[in-house]
Amino acid sequence: MKKYISFVLLAAAAALAAAPAAAQFKPTKPIEIIVHTGPGGGADVLARFISSLVDKEKLAPVRMQVTNKPGGGGLTAMNFVVEKKGDAHAIAIFTGNWMTNPLTQAEAKVTVKDMTPVVRLVLEPAVIAVKSDAPFKTMKDFVDAAIKNPGQMKQSGGSITSRDNVVRQLIMKNTGANWVFISFPGGGERIAALLGGHVNMMVIEPQEAGEHIRAGNMRVLAQVAEKRLAGFPNVPTLKEAGFDVPNVPQVRGVLAPPGMPADAVAYYEDLFAKITQTASWKKYLEDNQFEDGFLKSAELAKFMDEFTERMRGILKEAGAKVVR
Amino acid sequence: MEGSRFSSGEVVSGAVLAGLGTFIIIEARGWVYVDADGPGPGFFPTWYGIAMVVLSLLLIAGSLRKARAAVQPVKWHEISRALFTWAAFAGSVALLKVLGFMLSFGLLTLFVVAVMYRRPLWTALAVAVGCSLGFYAVFALALDVGLPVGIFGF
Amino acid sequence: MDILSGLLQGFAVALAPLNLWWCFVGVFLGTVVGVLPGLGPAATIAMLLPLTFQMNPTTALIMLCGIYYGAKYGGSTTAILLNVPGESASVVTCLDGYQMARKGRGGAALGIAAIASFIAGTFGVVALMLVAPPLAKFALSFSSPEYFALMCLGLAMVVLLAGQSMVKALLAMLVGLWIASMGTDLFTARSRFTFGYSEMLDGIDFVVVAIGIFALGEVLGNMETREGEKMLPVPKGLRNLLPTLAELKACRFAFLNGSVIGFLIGVLPGAGSTIASFISYGIEKAVSKHPEKFGTGVPEGVAAPEGANNSETGGALVPLLTLGIPGSGTTAILLAALILWGLKPGPLMIHDNPDLFWGLVASMYVGNVMLLVLNLPLIPLFAQILKLPVYVLYPVIFGISIVGVYSVSGSLFDTWMLAVFGLLGYLMTKLDYPSAPLILGFVLGDSMERALRQSLMMSQGELSILVSRPISAIMLSLAALILLLPLFRKANAWRVKAIVENG
Repeated sequence: MKKYISFVLLAAAAALAAAPAAAQFKPTKPIEIIVHTGPGGGADVLARFISSLVDKEKLAPVRMQVTNKPGGGGLTAMNFVVEKKGDAHAIAIFTGNWMTNPLTQAEAKVTVKDMTPVVRLVLEPAVIAVKSDAPFKTMKDFVDAAIKNPGQMKQSGGSITSRDNVVRQLIMKNTGANWVFISFPGGGERIAALLGGHVNMMVIEPQEAGEHIRAGNMRVLAQVAEKRLAGFPNVPTLKEAGFDVPNVPQVRGVLAPPGMPADAVAYYEDLFAKITQTASWKKYLEDNQFEDGFLKSAELAKFMDEFTERMRGILKEAGAKVVR
Repeated sequence: MEGSRFSSGEVVSGAVLAGLGTFIIIEARGWVYVDADGPGPGFFPTWYGIAMVVLSLLLIAGSLRKARAAVQPVKWHEISRALFTWAAFAGSVALLKVLGFMLSFGLLTLFVVAVMYRRPLWTALAVAVGCSLGFYAVFALALDVGLPVGIFGF
Repeated sequence: MDILSGLLQGFAVALAPLNLWWCFVGVFLGTVVGVLPGLGPAATIAMLLPLTFQMNPTTALIMLCGIYYGAKYGGSTTAILLNVPGESASVVTCLDGYQMARKGRGGAALGIAAIASFIAGTFGVVALMLVAPPLAKFALSFSSPEYFALMCLGLAMVVLLAGQSMVKALLAMLVGLWIASMGTDLFTARSRFTFGYSEMLDGIDFVVVAIGIFALGEVLGNMETREGEKMLPVPKGLRNLLPTLAELKACRFAFLNGSVIGFLIGVLPGAGSTIASFISYGIEKAVSKHPEKFGTGVPEGVAAPEGANNSETGGALVPLLTLGIPGSGTTAILLAALILWGLKPGPLMIHDNPDLFWGLVASMYVGNVMLLVLNLPLIPLFAQILKLPVYVLYPVIFGISIVGVYSVSGSLFDTWMLAVFGLLGYLMTKLDYPSAPLILGFVLGDSMERALRQSLMMSQGELSILVSRPISAIMLSLAALILLLPLFRKANAWRVKAIVENG
């Protein structure tokens, strides 16, 4: 009996999602978008873009306003979201860090498992770049050089938990190569280290790399993407280049506080589905060379579990202390 | 501080800093000092921790050697006034979560004017209300800066 | 493109009425957010970003950059009048600016800050226009060993900031280093000294430390007695509100020093305006004929750091506009803005959009003039705040401190830390520990540790990498010289004394 009821409920929810006009929840006051960076950070820029898009295209009856909760490597914002339990007028922009960081932080009291998944929005691919006067023409050249001179090749990147390092760990494990990963806090410093010839390689966002390639400062060896990006039709993906490693995109999407009612989740799923259909959104993805990564709540939950599991394994191998 | 023959402030603060340095070294010993990749998270703290212990011991030694130098009597009355004010400040910070900025800041102002500066109560009330409203006008209204909000919703 | 024709074209863009208006809006908003501590230019630009989507990118960039350099003009106001550093670079301005205000020369200090900002700001634009591309190449040759040497040079300034006791100054600096290492270690994701608080995983914000130690420490010290109706003497008459000719003359070298140092350090993506202002202050003191007077309210102690802070803007735009590489903070947001407007920031941006670059450069000349005209008349207005009786002024400073800290992170935890650092600041004053070295250690500690570890990773543990590169070797020897010079002087003094006593 119980099973039957839940089946009916699920079917009803699916029907509601399919026929969004029937969704019961309607926001009655401004919707708060919580981000874990200060104004100007990646998630903040995305949130403000969404907010102005919703305003411009009149996709919601209310405004969306951005709340910045920086600090604690994202934990401050995550705590804040969990404290908003049951609030149907608050959502948060998450990134892969929300799943990764609590793995190494004993201080974390909450994880994404405590929140309600809403949608996945974008996958940010990356490319692997070297300086244009480097001897490496393909990814294999670089890996071979790293095998020949263990510990001599260097890569500039962010924190040990960042995607840059994950890509490195996966390739190193796949090939037995070994090179050094040097952390820099700012994206600018990472690029400066590469262009100055102080490191040999970096994982960089395609949009940023594009301009340096056009100016003849950089060359791209491979791309970290599911399929070739429009901007790099002649560059192989890692798989095509012969590296059998899983794709690791930087992910962004939307989570909600714990216990958000199903009809509200359905409302937001539908709202974001509409947002991703607009021309402005498509242009935004194109300008930044992001991939459309739209997933609904149930699939997002599955994705988050898989992502967290994979990261746990990678971080352990990288020598980080995994606490949960 | 009757009968103190050395600058007790230097000895006490030196001892505290020596303790802090020791704590830092102990903590840092729990982290990787250096490994194949280079210096670890324990490298830098170990060194400034050691420097802290050495310098604070130097400070204590120097202060003890300077014995019998003319030491200004400590004005406990003044210090307690300052610490009292600090306690009021800390108290109002503690109240931010419950009362919000407007009320707890108003109370702090009231306290400073009426108690610390012995102004008449009505002056104090006027200053407290004026300051609170002024801050609200400048920050919340004109600049759209969020102020801490309490259980009353303001 | 020929610089002259580019500039002419730029002025044609910048002087268009619409651009002129938005330039004014930008510098005006910048001044306002600069005056108020906490709310910085980065946050303001991010909040206004959606507003600019409808604008022409050149106009939008002119306005947003106006906020950026306008905020630096305003930053000195609270530092000088209330000892509340509004942004990290104004900490150095507190040292002599606040002392000048205590001597009744607050208006003059504000005037000198405005003039230094104008001169150095303009210098920064000229340099940006003339030497941007070659300098960007120079900046790229700077790597971790050079940054480490630069940070060492910065830390050596502690010698120049020390008061009576060198040991106490060094101890304060070490405490600063300790506070700097709180939070998550970038290299290993290991958290250090967080005491189990998740709020501390990103470390402690600069504003919390600086406002706590400088502003609250000062107020608590002043509140020890009930005497004194006014915190500071109020300058009377217009003449006392403006710097005298003698004061301006004393600042001649400081204007130049601040301009050059600020610009050069601004070009480096990993440095920042705080270290620029510390170093130019140190140089000013080192070459001064009366170094002992620094810290008691000398005008050149205001002019040098304020100048460095403002010409840093021009410097920081060099890597952003010529390479598409943001330094940190504000320029990173400008980069995000350029992308959102559909421009392609990168090495070819100036080439592709000459109007944008030259329009911006020309607007910065115009904007700096606007700021000077805007700020000089504001001085008497701001000086009025000193007329408030202390029992009103002190609560106002408490309030500004709380709001300033809260507006950065929106976290009540930070207001708690503010109280902690206020107590620390008071105790340090009471026990004669100078506070500037603590701030110096705190600002540089993180970058220094990072640069050292990066260098040793690059060299696989070879320490020689630090001295085998010419630029870093020169800077390290300079740092050693600064550190050891007082010891030589002392040894010499002993020797002389011994000879005198024996003879």
